[in-house]
Amino acid sequence: MHGQRDAMQGGAAHDERPVRVWDVPVRLFHWALAGFFAFQFWSGETGGNAMQWHLYAGYGVLSLVLFRILWGFFGSTYARFASFARGPAACLRYARQLFSRRPVPSLGHNPLGGWMVLAMLGALALQTVTGLFANDQIATQGPLADLVSDAWSDRLSSVHAWNFYVLLGLVSLHIVAVLYYRLVKGQNLIGPMFSGVKRVPAKLAESAAPRPGGAWRALIVFAAALLAVYLVVQRPF
Amino acid sequence: MTKKNLALNLLAAASAACFAASALAQHKPEDLVKHRQAAMSLMGWYFGPIGAMVNNKMPFDAKLAARNAGYLVTLSRMPLEGFDPSTSGAKNTKAKDKIYLEMDKFKRHMEKMQTEVDKLDKAAQTGNEADIKVAFGNAAKSCKSCHDDFRAK
Repeated sequence: MHGQRDAMQGGAAHDERPVRVWDVPVRLFHWALAGFFAFQFWSGETGGNAMQWHLYAGYGVLSLVLFRILWGFFGSTYARFASFARGPAACLRYARQLFSRRPVPSLGHNPLGGWMVLAMLGALALQTVTGLFANDQIATQGPLADLVSDAWSDRLSSVHAWNFYVLLGLVSLHIVAVLYYRLVKGQNLIGPMFSGVKRVPAKLAESAAPRPGGAWRALIVFAAALLAVYLVVQRPF
Repeated sequence: MTKKNLALNLLAAASAACFAASALAQHKPEDLVKHRQAAMSLMGWYFGPIGAMVNNKMPFDAKLAARNAGYLVTLSRMPLEGFDPSTSGAKNTKAKDKIYLEMDKFKRHMEKMQTEVDKLDKAAQTGNEADIKVAFGNAAKSCKSCHDDFRAK
């Protein structure tokens, strides 16, 4: 199996270079979000006194999502939406080789992975925003539920409940996809999400222009996201 | 009590039971839906502040908690009789029709909720906030497990 893959790559595997594609903010965001997602799954299913923590963690998820959206505009090179939101032609071209064993390396997100990121962010944004207005028909309601009628709060609660299955589907597909890349296509996408460094063929590495967003900028953007969520949730004014 | 009196009492009790049963059977499905929703709305009304207290959203008020929990004990016995098979397919309800196919399970959920509400009441009468919090959480969970099974999302 490995011999076959090496043969197909024509030894190119030995001519790989490391490129720092994921900066620290992107990686922290990813793993924090994964943790929060698991916690929200658990707390939402458990109910009872876990609901208060479901709300607090929800504010955390909303902050992270907001941060990531901002980082998609002001962040490091490969975190920017402009770098990975590709057109239908590029996606189709990429999709055609998806089921071949031949790896097609990308510097940041590949064209399909990029849309997966956008889909997950979109679904998470919908989930957190509907959660703000939701109620659980027992004793818990989102911090903005009193701004809308009960009928709307109930409707948004339904969206919150059903969209969770959409999220679960997307997250499952995301995990299956990285495992597929690892096991079938021989591309390790998981390691770089820890180390930040992806090994890509030298030729592709030459075209790389990784520019980190910078720790200070990340902190400022995250603080802005936190402040926005605080203002929305607490409504101090 | 004389034998005659006993017989009369039994007759009266039996006819009252028959009358109650037939009266219940005559309720329109929409009224049954209204009944159970009213009962559960009131439960939410009296349950909510206890939740707000134990989650520090309002100051702890032992008296209010005890009063509300006391009301809840009675209220918790009410919704079940609104879940009559005649309300299958009724409008303006999120109750799933499978309730009437799985009535035993549904009743077990209701009894579990009543048990948890009784415990909440016990805790509330002692006024111990930590105990109330635990009991509140368990009561809320008993609501949720039934909603998960029998309430449309």
